[in-house]
Amino acid sequence: MGFEAHEEEQCRLLRKALKFADITPADLWLTYFSIGGAVGEYEVHAYLQGLLSLPILQRDLLACAANELIEAVPPLPRAPYAEDLEDSHDAGGTGRKNSNRNT
Amino acid sequence: MSKQLPLDELSSVIARVKGLLLTEEKVERAVQLLASAAKQAIPGTLGAGISLLDSQGRRTSSAATDKIVQEADASQYELGQGPCLTAWASEQTILVEDVRTESRWPEWCAAMKDLPIRSVLSTPLIAGKETLGALKIYAALPGIYDEETSRLLQLFAGPAATLLANVQSSETPRRISESLETALYSRDTIARATGILMERHGLSSEDAMQELLSRVRADRTTLLEECSRIIAAVPGRRG
Repeated sequence: MGFEAHEEEQCRLLRKALKFADITPADLWLTYFSIGGAVGEYEVHAYLQGLLSLPILQRDLLACAANELIEAVPPLPRAPYAEDLEDSHDAGGTGRKNSNRNT
Repeated sequence: MSKQLPLDELSSVIARVKGLLLTEEKVERAVQLLASAAKQAIPGTLGAGISLLDSQGRRTSSAATDKIVQEADASQYELGQGPCLTAWASEQTILVEDVRTESRWPEWCAAMKDLPIRSVLSTPLIAGKETLGALKIYAALPGIYDEETSRLLQLFAGPAATLLANVQSSETPRRISESLETALYSRDTIARATGILMERHGLSSEDAMQELLSRVRADRTTLLEECSRIIAAVPGRRG
């Protein structure tokens, strides 16, 4: 099976994203499977190693699965500006709800 | 492209779940063997026991070579104090030279009055960063254990903890089948939404999926959320 244009780059950048976010191929596959991915865990492993070509839709579903896993990681906490803290005091309940969600 | 569902994967996941259920028995067996090996390895020992604890300090599984050990252990977990719980919580080996003069766990020591237990040595079972539980040995005479015995028990606890960490905890199968259930529910939702788009816009299933993916990218949402919205918007499907 030949490789389509951009496929190798798409695969390489997926691999990089997984490594950066510390996502295992098994976790990626389960998420990919749960959003409707059609190929097996073994094939996904082979694709990640550049040994197997996958159709565009499956590649994009893998990208989507990876991005959903990356988004699920809580972002690093941000430092508030003085104004942000005043806002949350003024807003009372709303400010509190936001800070709860961030923790 | 392949239109087959990855059923082989699904069955391997199910097989894994079943395999893990089998290994739960293996945990009991491994714990039992380790306890009797510890008893035989350390001279003067009346009995040995192993308790595996979850992150809240609740006992998930335990083994003891003798009934006395079982009783001594049980009262630690009933009273919420004792050398093994301290060994587990502090991640240090705890040496009790004589239960009758010991002051660290007054209630537990009082409960031990009627049991022929005087010396206790308990060491945590640590695998990687996780403290899985504690291994303990009891002796009928005071002053049986010392620094040397502590080192011996620690040597024993290292490989024992590694072994136990590799035999899965009883919680794992439940967690796996929960994630399988979630995955199947999500997959089903996405398949239904794909079907709705196919019918509504006269698309092939692949094109419908691509359409969903581009919506997800534009709205910065997840595929499951997008699909749930599509299904919820179909008249007569609410509630």
